[in-house]
Amino acid sequence: MAVLTTFSFSWTQKWAFAWLGLLVAVAAVAPALPLPYLPTVPDLAHVAQAPLGPGRHWLGTDVQGRDVLSLLVFGTRTAVLLTLPAALLAACIGALAGGAAGFWGNRRRVETAYWVLAAGGAWWVLRLPAPWLGPLVAALAGARLLMSKRNRPTPGPRLPLDALVMGAATALDSIPRLVLVVAMAASAGGVSATGLLVLLTLTAWPTPARLVRAQMLRVRALPFAEAARAAGVPEWRIWLRHAMPHAIKPLESNFPLSLVSLLSLESTLSFLGVGLPPEIASWGRLMASFRQEPSAWWLLAFPTIMLVISILSLNALARWRRI
Amino acid sequence: MYRVRQNSSAGVLLCLALALLLQGCKANRREAAAIKIRWAHDPENLDPLQLANQTAVDANYLLNCSLLQADLVTHQFAPVLAEALPTVQFLGDSLMRLHYSLRPEATWDNGRPVLATDVAFTLKLMFCPGLPNETPSSEYRFIREILLDPNNPRRFSLVCTGQAVEYVQASGDFFVLPEASLDPGGEMRRFSLADLQHRPATALPNAVLQALAQRYAAAAPGQTPERLPGCGPYRLVKWEKDRYLRFRRKPHWWADRVRPRPVLLEARPARLQYVIIPDAATASLALQRGDLDVFPQMPTREFTRLRTSPAARATLNFYATASYDVTTVGFNTRHAVLADALTRQALSRCLDAAGVLKANELRQGQRTVGLISPSDRLNYNDSLTPVPFDPAGAVRLLRRAGWQRAARPEAGWRRQLPQGGTQELRLVVRYRADEQLFATIALQFQAAAASIGVPVALLPTESGAFSMALRNGDFDVYVRSLRGNPFIFNFTSLLHSQSVGAGNATGFSTPESDRLIEAIAAANTQQRRAVLLRRFQALMQQQAPIVPLFFLSSHIAASKQLTGLHPSSIKPGFTATAMDWAAGPTTPQ
Repeated sequence: MAVLTTFSFSWTQKWAFAWLGLLVAVAAVAPALPLPYLPTVPDLAHVAQAPLGPGRHWLGTDVQGRDVLSLLVFGTRTAVLLTLPAALLAACIGALAGGAAGFWGNRRRVETAYWVLAAGGAWWVLRLPAPWLGPLVAALAGARLLMSKRNRPTPGPRLPLDALVMGAATALDSIPRLVLVVAMAASAGGVSATGLLVLLTLTAWPTPARLVRAQMLRVRALPFAEAARAAGVPEWRIWLRHAMPHAIKPLESNFPLSLVSLLSLESTLSFLGVGLPPEIASWGRLMASFRQEPSAWWLLAFPTIMLVISILSLNALARWRRI
Repeated sequence: MYRVRQNSSAGVLLCLALALLLQGCKANRREAAAIKIRWAHDPENLDPLQLANQTAVDANYLLNCSLLQADLVTHQFAPVLAEALPTVQFLGDSLMRLHYSLRPEATWDNGRPVLATDVAFTLKLMFCPGLPNETPSSEYRFIREILLDPNNPRRFSLVCTGQAVEYVQASGDFFVLPEASLDPGGEMRRFSLADLQHRPATALPNAVLQALAQRYAAAAPGQTPERLPGCGPYRLVKWEKDRYLRFRRKPHWWADRVRPRPVLLEARPARLQYVIIPDAATASLALQRGDLDVFPQMPTREFTRLRTSPAARATLNFYATASYDVTTVGFNTRHAVLADALTRQALSRCLDAAGVLKANELRQGQRTVGLISPSDRLNYNDSLTPVPFDPAGAVRLLRRAGWQRAARPEAGWRRQLPQGGTQELRLVVRYRADEQLFATIALQFQAAAASIGVPVALLPTESGAFSMALRNGDFDVYVRSLRGNPFIFNFTSLLHSQSVGAGNATGFSTPESDRLIEAIAAANTQQRRAVLLRRFQALMQQQAPIVPLFFLSSHIAASKQLTGLHPSSIKPGFTATAMDWAAGPTTPQ
C-alpha cells in the first residue's frame, strides 16, 4: 500500500524547524561551547548583575552569581535531553499499548501458562510472603510454555487488554499531571534527571495510547486487514507490519504537542523547586530565581523568551499538513 | 422652627452616636486583629523538654514561663517566675547554692499557685527515664539538688556542682511545668534529683517513673500543648501544620497583677498568629500586601531592596541589628571519610566565607574564627585567623590526610585503609531548601570542591526532613545557622559526647574537647572562662567538626502600625509579646 506524500512548510514552520534545530544543536554541543563560565560555578563578585556588565557576563548573573547565558545553554540541554526522550518513550509505550488494546480488544485468549508466569512475577515484585515462591511458580510456567510449543497450546481465559490499558490511562488522566508528578517526586524525596525522565514518561503515555487505540479500531476493520487474515497471516504480524503503521499516524501531529506539554511541565516543576537537583540548569529554575531579586528582569526575560519561542515553534510544527 | 432645630440636634446626635459606634468598632477590630509574624518553618514539636528549633522555643515562651529569661531591652537576664535574680552562696570551693523565691502572683490557669514543688518536679522530669529529655539532662546536670524551704512553699535553693559564673542565668532558663497535671499524687517527691541523675541505664524499671513517662506521652505536649497548660500568657488556639499557629491571650494572666510590670511580663497582643511561609520572596510579598505584620530574619538583599523602595517605606519600618546567629558548615565525623581532622580542615578551605558574605549578605555580617561572636571582645579568640578560601591548600591537606587523586580527574580522591580496602571522597551536602543563603554556600562549596576533584552532590531538604536527617546522621556535610546568646557558653548539647545522637549532629567528640566544654560550663570567673573559650575556639578550628563562617545581621521589617517591637541582637530578635497596634488607621483582618 504505497502512499506518495510530499511536505509543504510555511515560513513560520521553517523558522520553527530552524529554532528547534538550533536548540538541539546547542544541547548536543553545550559542554564543548566556549562559554566564559560553567553553570555550576558561582561568581560571588558579580551577583544579580545586569546584562553586559563587568565580568564577561553577557546576559547577566542570577542571585547566586551564576552566569545566565551559561544557565540558558545548559538549560536548553536539560530541556532537550529530558523532554525529547520522554516524548519518544511515551509515544512508543502509548503506541504499543494503545495499538494492542485497539487491535485485540478484550477478546484475546492467553494460554494459562502465561497467566501463571505473570502471577509468579507479580508475587516476586510485590514481595508477598515467601517471595521465592514467585520465581518458582514462574519457572514452572516457563517450562510448561516450552513444552507446549511442541504440543498443542491450551487456550486460557480472555485477557481484558483494552480494559486494562484504558483503565490505566483513565486512572492516570484522572489526576492532574502536575499534582501526580509532584506527589511522586515528593514521596521519593527528590528526583534525579533519570528519575524525572521516567516520571514524565509514565505520565505522558496515555494520550498517544488513546489516539493510537482509536485509529486502530478503524484500521483493524479495513479490507486489507481482513484480507491478510484470510490469507493466513499470523495475527501479531498483521498487527505489527500492516495495522500499526497506519494506526500511529495521529502521533505525527501529536508528538510536537506532547513535547510542548512536557517542556511546560518540566519548567513548572523546576520553577516550583520540586524537579531536578539544584546543580542541573533549567529554564524554570532560572525563572524562579527572579522571585528572589524582582528587579533582575533578565532572570525572567531570557528563559521566558526561550520557552515561549520553543512552545510556539512546536505548535507550528503540530499544524503541518500533508499534500 | 423649634421643631426644625430639634430635628437637626437629633440628627447631629445620631451622627455623633454613629461615629462613636464606628470608632468603637474600629478600635475593637484593631484590638481583635491578630499580629501576624512570619516563621520560615514549622516548630514541628512544642514539647518543652525537646525544643527542636528556635520557633519551638519562641512558641514555648508564649505558653510557658521560666524562672529567668533574657531581657531583649536591657540585654540582661531578668526574673519572670522568680521574684528576683537568685542570691548566690558559695559552699567551699566546688559547690554553690542559688536561692530563689517565686513571685506570689504566679499561678497556673486554675488559680493554683506556682510553687517550688513545680520547679522540683520539672527538674526531675529532665532526668526521668523514658522521656524525651536528652538535651535538658545534659544541660542541667550541674544542678545536683533542689532544697525546698519548709517554711515558705515559694522558696527553694538549687545546689550546683561548681561555681560557674553562668549558673546564675542557666539555672533559671527552663520552662516550669505543673506537677499537678502530670503527677497529681506527688509520687515523684519520693525521688531526689540526685537519685534520678545517678540512676544507671541498666536499673530495673520503676513503676512510678514508668507511669509518669506514660502520662507524659499520653499528654503529648509536643503536639497538643493544651493538654499540659503552662503558666505563660497565651494559649494555643489552632495549629495547622506547616501553615500557621494561632495564640490567644489568656483573659486573666497572673502577671497582669504584677506592678510595676517589666517588659518580659508584658503580653499586649490579644492574638498572635505565626504564619509559616518557607519562601522568603512569598513572605516579602505577603508583608507588602499587609497579610503579614512582622518579617524577622529577612534576607539581606530583600531587606535592602525594600528599604530603598518608597512604597515599602511608607508602610513598613526597618530594623537592623547585629545578631548571635552564626552560619556554620558541619561535617559528619561519624562517616569514615570525614573522621579525621585533616580531611575536614582541607574541605573547610573550600568555603569562601568572605565571598558569600559580600555577595549574599552585602557585607552586613562579621566573619568569625569560632562560635563566639567577634563583638564579644573578652571571649573571642582574636589571635586566630578565619579559615582562608584556599583550594590549593585543601589539595595539600588532602594529600597529608592520605588521599590520592585518581589518574582520571573525574574519578576523584581515594585513600587506602590500613585494614585493607579503599575510601572514596564523595560528599552529599544537606541544607534547608527554603534558605537562599545556604543554597549559595552549598553551591560555592560544590564548585570549589569540584575544582579540586571532589564530587559533591547537593540535597536541599524540607525543614522537618532536614532536622530528622541531622538527628539520624543522614548527611556528609550540612549548612545551617546556630543561634547563640551573650550569656551562656554551654556547648554540651552541641559538641559533647553526651549529646551524640541528640544535639551533637556532627557526632564529634574527643576526651580533650569534652573536658574543655565541661570546664567552660563550670568556669567560676569570667577571666577563667575567657581563657578556656579561646582555647576551645582554637581546638575547634584545628579539629573542624563545625566551620563557623560568619555572624549574620538581624533584619526585621514590620508594619508601621506596630509599636513595642524592641529589636535586639538576642534571639528571637524582637519581643512579640510587647508589641501593640499604634493609634491610627485600622489594620485589615
